[in-house]
Amino acid sequence: MEAQVEQKYDFEVVRWFTIMSVVYLVVGTLLGVYIASELAWPFLNFDTAELSFGRLRPLHTNAVVFAFGGCALMATGFYTVQRTGGTSLFSNALAWFTFWGWNLIILLAVITLPLGMTQAKEYAELEWPVDILIAVVWLAFGLNFFMTVAKRKTSHIYVSNWFFMGMIVMITYLHVVNSLAIPVSLTQSYSVFSGVQDAMIQWWWGHNAVGFYLTAGFLGIMYYFVPKQAGRPIFSYRLSVIHFWALMFGYVWLGAHHLQYTALPDWTGSLGAAVSLAMIIPSWGGAINGMMTLSGAWDKLRNDYILRFLIMSLAFYAMSTFEGPVMSAKTVNALSHYTDWTVGHVHSGALGWVAMVAAGALYHMIEKLWNTRMYSPALVNLHFWLATIGAVVYITAMWVSGIMQGLMWRDYDEFGTLTYTFAESVAAMHPYYAMRAVGGMIFWSGGAVMLYNMVMTIRQAMAERVTAANAAATA
Amino acid sequence: MSDQKNPYGPGTTGHVWDENLAEATNPPPKWWMIGLHASWILVLLYTLVYPSWPWFGGAFKGVMGWTSIGEYKQDLAAINEVRGKYENQLPGKSAAAILADSELNEYVQRSAKVLFGENCAACHGSGGAGNPGFPVLADDEWLYGGEIDKITQSITAGRQGMMPARGGASLTEAEVDELARAVAATDPTSSPLFTGKGTCFACHGQDGKGTPAMGAPDLTDRIWRFGNGSFEEVKYTILHGVNDSNDANSRNAEMPSWQQRLSETEIKKLAVYVHQFGGGR
Repeated sequence: MEAQVEQKYDFEVVRWFTIMSVVYLVVGTLLGVYIASELAWPFLNFDTAELSFGRLRPLHTNAVVFAFGGCALMATGFYTVQRTGGTSLFSNALAWFTFWGWNLIILLAVITLPLGMTQAKEYAELEWPVDILIAVVWLAFGLNFFMTVAKRKTSHIYVSNWFFMGMIVMITYLHVVNSLAIPVSLTQSYSVFSGVQDAMIQWWWGHNAVGFYLTAGFLGIMYYFVPKQAGRPIFSYRLSVIHFWALMFGYVWLGAHHLQYTALPDWTGSLGAAVSLAMIIPSWGGAINGMMTLSGAWDKLRNDYILRFLIMSLAFYAMSTFEGPVMSAKTVNALSHYTDWTVGHVHSGALGWVAMVAAGALYHMIEKLWNTRMYSPALVNLHFWLATIGAVVYITAMWVSGIMQGLMWRDYDEFGTLTYTFAESVAAMHPYYAMRAVGGMIFWSGGAVMLYNMVMTIRQAMAERVTAANAAATA
Repeated sequence: MSDQKNPYGPGTTGHVWDENLAEATNPPPKWWMIGLHASWILVLLYTLVYPSWPWFGGAFKGVMGWTSIGEYKQDLAAINEVRGKYENQLPGKSAAAILADSELNEYVQRSAKVLFGENCAACHGSGGAGNPGFPVLADDEWLYGGEIDKITQSITAGRQGMMPARGGASLTEAEVDELARAVAATDPTSSPLFTGKGTCFACHGQDGKGTPAMGAPDLTDRIWRFGNGSFEEVKYTILHGVNDSNDANSRNAEMPSWQQRLSETEIKKLAVYVHQFGGGR
C-alpha cells in the first residue's frame, strides 16, 4: 500500500517542505518574541544595529510569512494537488527547484535584512535581485501546480485547487507590480512609483499578501484538510462557489483602507472601506463551510486534536475577518490606525488562523507522508492549548494597548489642549508590551513542542520501516 | 441535514476526490445569503454617502459632502473655539505678563505640557527633572539666570557653554589634579591655581560662585553640570573643557535655538511653563 502511494505521488519534496515549514515556524516566531521583548525591554538591542527592532522586524515578518507560510503553502499545495487529481506532479524536478530556490530566498533574507538592505516596503523589503528570484521560483511553483491540475485523473477540479490557483495568479502580478524598481546597485533600488501612488501600490500588495497569500491559499488548505480529517463532505458546494468568487473579486479593492486620512484621495479610501465591509460575509462563507462540515460529527473534536487545530483556526478566521473590515471604516480607522490594535488584528489572523490551520494540516500530512501516527497525541493537544492561549494573550494585550493609545493620542482637556504627550502613551503601553511578549513566548513554545513531536514521529517511522524490512527479510 | 451523513449518498454533488472527499449539496444558510445581498447593498449605500466612484475629471462626491480635510477642519475649529479666548490674548502679552495673569497662566500650564513633552523632555526629562549631561530645570540653580526674560532668551536663541581645556593655560596633570580636588570639595578657592595660573575666576568669579551672564556655574554648591561631582568627573571637565573645539573629548553643552522651529507664542508658553517648575525667579 505504502509503496503504491509512493509510486503514484511525488512525496519526497512534500516531506522536505513539511519539515522546513515547522522549522521556520519555530525560528520565525522566536524572532517575533525577541523583537516583542525589545519593545518591552529596549536594552535587548545591545546597541547593535543588526539586532535592532528596525532590522529584525522585517526578518520576523519574512520568516513567518514567506519562510513558514510559503513552505506550508508549497507542502500542502503539492500534496493536495496530487491527491485531489489522483496524479503525480507535472515535474518533480521543478518541485525540487522550487524547494531549493525558496530556501535560497530565505537564506538571502537572513543575510540582507539584518545588514539593513531593504526596499523599505512592508512585507516586500527584499531588494531587487531577490525579488526577481522570488518571481522565478513562484512561477515555477505556479506552473507546476497548474500543469498538475491539467493532467489530473479526476473530471472536476476540487475546490481547494481553485483557491491555490487564485492565490498563484494574484500573487504573481501583485508581487511583480509592487516590486518594479530601478536598481542603482546590486543592493539598492528605487521604486518606479512615487508619492501617494507608491503608497497605494504598496498597500494594494500589502493587503493582498494577506488576502490571497495568507487567506486564499490557506482556505485552499482548509478545504482539503478539514473534510479529510473529519471524514465528511464539505458542507455546501454552492457556498464554496459563491464565496470563492466574492473573495477573488472583492479582496483586490481593500488596500486603500490602509491609507485613510492620508494624501490618498477620499474616494479611493471609501471604495476600500465599502468593499472591506462587504467582505465579512464572503469570508464567513469559508468559515461556516468548514465548521458546518463537522455538523453531526462535533464529537470528533473530543479526541481528534488535529481537527481541533483546524476548527479553532476557523473561529479565529471568522473573528479577524469581522474585525478587519470594522477597522477599515473611516470612523473606526481614525482611532485604530497607527496603533497596536492593527498589530493585534494581524496576529489574530496570523497566529489564530494561518499558523493554526497550517499546524493542523501539517500534523495530518506528517502522519500520511511517513505512514505512521504522531509520536505523542498528548503533545499535539499541548501544542493546541499553548497556541490558543498564546494567541489570545497576545491579541488581548494589543487590543487594550492599541485602543488606549488611540484614545490617549486624541484626548483633549477642557482648555482644548492635548492631555497626554506621546512619551506618556509609550509609558502606558509598557505592561501590555510585556504581556504581548509573554503571549508570543507561549505561542512559540507550542511550535517548539510541534518540532520535537515531528522529529520523534519521523524517527519512529524510520524505526518502524527498519523493523518491517527486517521482518520481511527473516520471513 | 440527515442525508449528508453519508458522504457518498444522495446529498452530495456526486464527485469524489482522493477516495473520500466530496461536497454536499446543502444550500448556503439563509442568513448568509441575506447577508451577501445586504453586503452589496451596503457597498452602494456607503459609496452613495461618501465620495466614491471615480469618473472622468473627478469622482462622485457623496451626498453628504464629506471630505477628510473637511472633517479635520471641523474638529480643529471646535478645538480652536475653546482655545481661542486664551490664545488670542497671548501674542499681545509678554511672558512676564502671562505669568502674572493667573487664568492665562493656568491655560499655559495645560497647553505647554505637551509642547514641553514633545520638544524639551528628550533632554531635560519630563517635568524638567534633568538627565545625565542635561540641566535640571526644576531647581533654583540657573546657568543663565532664572528670570522669565532670561528663560525666554535661552529658548529663543539657544545657549552654548564654553570652557577651555586645562583652563586655557597649559596646566600640568598635577595642577589639574589639585584644582579638581578643590572643586570636588566645593571649595575651589582653596587652591591658589583658581585665581592664579588656572584663571578659573575669570568666569566662575573670585568667590567661585559663578557668573550667570557667561553661563558659568556656581562651584560652591553641590549641583553639578556634568557627572556626579566626583574627583574623576571634575578632573575630566577641567582636562577637556566644554565645547572646546581643540579637544575632541571636550564636554558637550549646547542648547539649540528654537526660534526657527517654534512660534514666538509657543516659546513664551514654554518659558512660563519652565519658570513654574519651581525655580523661576
